[in-house]
Amino acid sequence: MELNKTGQSLLLNCLMEMGDLMLDAGAEINRVEETLTRMGAAYGAFRTDVFVITSVICMTMEFPGCEPVTEMRRIHSDGQQDYYRLDKLNGISRSCCATPVSPAELKEQLNSVASGHKPLWRRLSGSVLAAAAFAVFFGGTPLDGLIAGLFALGICVLKDRLGETQINTIAMDLIVALLVGLGVGGVTHLFPVLHMDAILIGDIMLLIPGLALTNAIRNILVGDTISGVVRLTETLLWAAALAGGIMVALTVLNYLH
Amino acid sequence: MTVFVQLLTAFLGALGFAVLFGVLRRCLWVAAVGGMLTWGVYLAVDAWLHVEFLSCLAAAAFAVTISELLARKLKLPATMFITPAIIPLVPGGTLYYAMSFAVHGDLEQARSYGLRTLLAALAIAGGISLVTVLRELRARR
Repeated sequence: MELNKTGQSLLLNCLMEMGDLMLDAGAEINRVEETLTRMGAAYGAFRTDVFVITSVICMTMEFPGCEPVTEMRRIHSDGQQDYYRLDKLNGISRSCCATPVSPAELKEQLNSVASGHKPLWRRLSGSVLAAAAFAVFFGGTPLDGLIAGLFALGICVLKDRLGETQINTIAMDLIVALLVGLGVGGVTHLFPVLHMDAILIGDIMLLIPGLALTNAIRNILVGDTISGVVRLTETLLWAAALAGGIMVALTVLNYLH
Repeated sequence: MTVFVQLLTAFLGALGFAVLFGVLRRCLWVAAVGGMLTWGVYLAVDAWLHVEFLSCLAAAAFAVTISELLARKLKLPATMFITPAIIPLVPGGTLYYAMSFAVHGDLEQARSYGLRTLLAALAIAGGISLVTVLRELRARR
């Protein structure tokens, strides 16, 4: 496809959007770089340079007989996986690499992915099921599982509310962990038949950045050192915030008893 | 009996996370079975060797291997299966007990559980990397 100067910058802007969406859906760094490079080549750029880290995408494309075009974008993402979205983006990239569509049409396709909101019911049902199952997995009774599931609902709502205030993840984890710890402690105090440890572990499984941690280490191992180290530091801080929140809650409960 | 309950809840827990992370609907069950099998491998290796680190390592390596095989067969990214499969190995329990013992002033126990948490995290990462590195070596030959 022959693109004029306007078309080129429009395309570059679309590719930025695409990379942004991919990172936001939890794609690995090298996958984003690979996809953008391939898209550039598919549209006829003879040289495409892409640099992606967790917080920035930089991209320069050179088309024959034209000045190079460059754009960068700051990314704000917590790396929460959304495979549904990722699959759609992969589909777009695959079909586009085979038969490139006009940048305007590409933009439209990307917009439809971006506006497709992560359904709330999916998040709620997933969280409840996971927390309930892991409360029992770690030695709780079915009743403990039920309570852990109810608290998982609370976690989802709380995270949504706090997310709207653009609070940073560390502070959010601290607050959520503290409130969940206090809540579970209170409920188990009122109903001694429940097991506090099992319920709390079930809910901790939702908050623990275990996957982000393994992803960070994988990034380092495949050569994306900077992103890996940034993510690793972040996840350790998140884990510390989670532990801090729960520990404060446990200390308060310990004191009250 | 406990083994059965653990396998069942590992299945349900992996299913929960698969739903949460938006794994495609037609792959949900496959992803959840992956979590259950991974925990099965963990239990089997643990019963044989009695070393938590190695069991975790082996189970993580197993999870990545079957996930990549499945991904190739179903033509989907492997992460979609790795994530739910790894979930039962995430050391939420030991992390909690480390914190709980620390708050109650039993630092000896807290340190022991804290170390176990760290080792489990390392083992998971190690298992994943082991398979990744081996596959890349094979691909390059």
